[in-house]
Amino acid sequence: MSLSTVPPAAAVALEPGRPGLRRSRGGSKDYVRIGLWIALLLAVLIWSVPLVFMIFTSLKSEADIFGTPAFVPPWSPEWGNYVEAIDRGNLLGAGANSLIIAMFKVPIGLFISAAAAFALSRLRFKRQRLLMGVIALGAMVPIQVAIAPLFQVIMGLNLLSTHLGIILPYIAFGLPYQTFILYGFFRQIPEEIDESARMDGAGNWRLFFQIILPLSKPALAALFILDFVSTWNEYSIALALLQSQESWTIPLALQGFQSQFTSSYGPLNAFTIMSVFPVLIVYLMFQRYFVEGAFAGAVKG
Amino acid sequence: MRALPKVVALSTAGLLVATLGGCASSGDADGKTTITWFKLTETADSANATIDEIVADFEQANPDISVKVEERAVDAHKDALRTTLGTSGAPDVFFSWAGPGLGGEFIDAGASLDLEKYYEQYDWSKRFSETTMSTVTQYGGYDGVPYTQRTEAVFYNKDLFAQAGITAAPTSYDELVADAKALKAAGITPIEFGGTVNWHVMRLLDSLLETECGADTYQDLVTEEASWADESCVTDTYTEFATWTSEYLNPGFISINNDESSSLFYSGKAAMAIEGDWFNQVVRDNGMDESTVGIFAFPTGTDRIYGFNENNYISANSKHPDAAAKFLDYLTSDEAQQKFIATFGSRSVNVDVLPEGQSDFDAQWNPIVEAAKGVYMNNDQNLSLAETTEYWRIQNLVATGELDPADAGSEFQKFIDQE
Amino acid sequence: MTSTTAPPRRASRPAVAGRRTRRLARTGFIAALPFLAPALAAYLVFVVGPTVESIRLSFFEWSGFQGAPQEFVGVKNYVRIFTQDPVFWTAFSNTLVWVVLSLFIPLGLGLVLALALNRPLFGRNVFRSMFYIPGVLAPIAIANMWRWMYNPNYGVGVTLAELFNLPWLAEIQWLGDKNLALYSIFAAFVWQIAGTNMVLFLAGLQSVSPEHVEAARLDGANAWQVFWNVTFPALRPTTVVVLVLTIINSIKVFDLIVGMTGGGPAQGTQVLALWSFQQSFTNHEYGMGNAIATVLLVITLLIVVPYMVWTARQEKNS
Repeated sequence: MSLSTVPPAAAVALEPGRPGLRRSRGGSKDYVRIGLWIALLLAVLIWSVPLVFMIFTSLKSEADIFGTPAFVPPWSPEWGNYVEAIDRGNLLGAGANSLIIAMFKVPIGLFISAAAAFALSRLRFKRQRLLMGVIALGAMVPIQVAIAPLFQVIMGLNLLSTHLGIILPYIAFGLPYQTFILYGFFRQIPEEIDESARMDGAGNWRLFFQIILPLSKPALAALFILDFVSTWNEYSIALALLQSQESWTIPLALQGFQSQFTSSYGPLNAFTIMSVFPVLIVYLMFQRYFVEGAFAGAVKG
Repeated sequence: MRALPKVVALSTAGLLVATLGGCASSGDADGKTTITWFKLTETADSANATIDEIVADFEQANPDISVKVEERAVDAHKDALRTTLGTSGAPDVFFSWAGPGLGGEFIDAGASLDLEKYYEQYDWSKRFSETTMSTVTQYGGYDGVPYTQRTEAVFYNKDLFAQAGITAAPTSYDELVADAKALKAAGITPIEFGGTVNWHVMRLLDSLLETECGADTYQDLVTEEASWADESCVTDTYTEFATWTSEYLNPGFISINNDESSSLFYSGKAAMAIEGDWFNQVVRDNGMDESTVGIFAFPTGTDRIYGFNENNYISANSKHPDAAAKFLDYLTSDEAQQKFIATFGSRSVNVDVLPEGQSDFDAQWNPIVEAAKGVYMNNDQNLSLAETTEYWRIQNLVATGELDPADAGSEFQKFIDQE
Repeated sequence: MTSTTAPPRRASRPAVAGRRTRRLARTGFIAALPFLAPALAAYLVFVVGPTVESIRLSFFEWSGFQGAPQEFVGVKNYVRIFTQDPVFWTAFSNTLVWVVLSLFIPLGLGLVLALALNRPLFGRNVFRSMFYIPGVLAPIAIANMWRWMYNPNYGVGVTLAELFNLPWLAEIQWLGDKNLALYSIFAAFVWQIAGTNMVLFLAGLQSVSPEHVEAARLDGANAWQVFWNVTFPALRPTTVVVLVLTIINSIKVFDLIVGMTGGGPAQGTQVLALWSFQQSFTNHEYGMGNAIATVLLVITLLIVVPYMVWTARQEKNS
């Protein structure tokens, strides 16, 4: 990345007595900052309206929902909405499905992607960049392009509405992005490390497990978290492949609840909150990994 | 081994176990036969409870059979059937509307098991009436076992009618329109519909089609023997429909579904609703006073009543057809049907089961059914799936004023022609 | 690509066939195979295979049921969707509108937020989180959240109308008005991804040299000039990444529409991804559905392949 359009200022002599980059001076600058801060605060408040609205509604009894205005918090929280949502919506069953699927898919998928990225970035063979390009292409193609035949494939394997039947496509569709990111990451690891390892007699597997992977922990951690979240949230493949209600994941259960009990607004909103709760927890606990994932994507260019 | 390969090995092993576990639980454990039944979530809560009861009774009498019921909303159920039938994910028993456009598609695709031997074994043809049997044999074999025979008409709130100065239910279409005008003048929403579920507003359109075109042309149109572009009554139908949707329907109907719009009826905010005989129980469950609700047939001027049949079919690739048939035999038996009609509607498909001690409210259906010499079906049952999608699209365009009623018929015919 | 300089120890070994094979076994396709195999297998079976099959099916007519025959019809499906299908062009233009709008609104908003939140502020992390969190939620959950907000009887519009005495606000059919519905759903989309764009831009902003900024300031540049001449050019790679990601995400949009309108009213909010899904799974017209899917694929490739070629070229040059 070049910053070429600005003529680099020659060594500018800073006025004596004034410290370098300090911004907090008196006068108009402070007003601007305060104004900015207030504007941001307002923006954040408006931004949080959907969430707040949902939380309030989830705690209101039906009479309250129809009777009181939307922005008034409930006087006495109606926890029964949550109980009803869990009951009628099979939240725990769907949650178990989502959890099992994520817990298997994420580590296995990441491992497979890392192995592929390793091969593409460090083991020399013909046309590996082309192959990387073909795989990366898969990250950009919408799933809906393949979804009808994918359904037929899974059906042919007799794996509809099973955990395995959805984990396999999930892995396949997660590959391109992860492989691409790890490919970029691996390429930044100096080749000298490879060579010294090989001099010590290390084969490819040892190189992979003992050297490359440990060095990639930040990228792997970031991808792990991001993948967990996107697996948890996935809807369209699950919609096509998980037909039996027992096999539903959380997103399907949410939409199913909505279509069956459309006007049970209290329980519906309670269900929505409970469905996003795990992801929120993951985010709050592992915030920096989301940001690092963004770094990997943005800076890599 | 290092940590990471261990983790992977464990995961893979665990995955295999989970898969095998999944395989085992998909069917029969400890000698018990499990059959799955895909059906709708009934609108009336008490009807859902009745199903649970009937299933429980059956399981008690047949300890080696377990029935797993999966209930869904209408559209979700249709989706589930379309994607699972003919595959390993298919249920043993599935509910479907019997019309050629819906149930017929499944028969065409070979998803329904021919039940001739069960009809002989259980002597079912004696149990069901001619009309319902005709829905079973209409495709040449024996497809499905009758579940319900639904009649649809207009429910109205007597108090609101009185408020608007209407003393009697309308007997002609002109009277109906006059009543709607009167209700509107009195500040009452004449009729409620939920626009997001297309099949709700469709009931109005179908009834208007029967009114304007008459029975013969209606049938010709839906069997594609007459052209929607040529029959002038089609334009009349859509013109009337546009008037209704812009003047007499609940405002904002296009954005809400039928549950939300029905609540307008229960709470006395809308005067009329086009619903079927299942709605009696729904009205009760939602706290309305039965004595304030009346029913009249939509005054089409023909002698046909709006209605449809629903059957339960056994999948062609069900692994337990005998158990499924046994369950369906129980479901349609005198014992079960007595419980059934209490919450499902006044009529049983079982000819030996007659409603006992009907409430006045339920008895209102009797004269309507007796006066009818035929049935005109909901068009999403007459038309194929793709045609229905287009039918609804045009319906919604006219309902929101985006399409001129004069163009609606030819627009639909254009679609039919390109198929 | 750098070439491996063989360490002296190896260079001294004679190139004997057996030994050479063992050496070569460390690199080359054979060595790479065990690492690549699972990925390639999964990718071929579940991604490439179905995509190719989708293209193939677009030339057939099929109901999708197992027993039903597949009838070859040549380009009939394409003719139908381009000239006869009443919904296709709506879906096509909606997809296009969506892509164009997302290039400006969520992207612009993300950039503005990133610029605002790049400087030290009290509670900056909380602010950043609040904007980012929608991006973590399941789109189908967001769809349900916003659908409730748009409820014509109890939603936000109605509440605000009562609060500020603006009856016309309560009349608006956010999801029922054919001309408005798409934009109502788009609002939810902006809510979902502006924060993600913000984080990406924040990452990119970290590489803007503060010295250059300060230098420009001292040269007398005002805030806008600093942005236009220093910051924005420095952000170009990031902007490209955000652009491409935004385009891809907006072509893919599916969950939001399913959850909020199902494509209605009167198929007015239909987009290519959803219409192809419905043709296949709801209407049982697999041929048509896959034809639409193929069109979607072509559009995606037209956007993505030039980008990838361009990036590859950038890499080669740098």
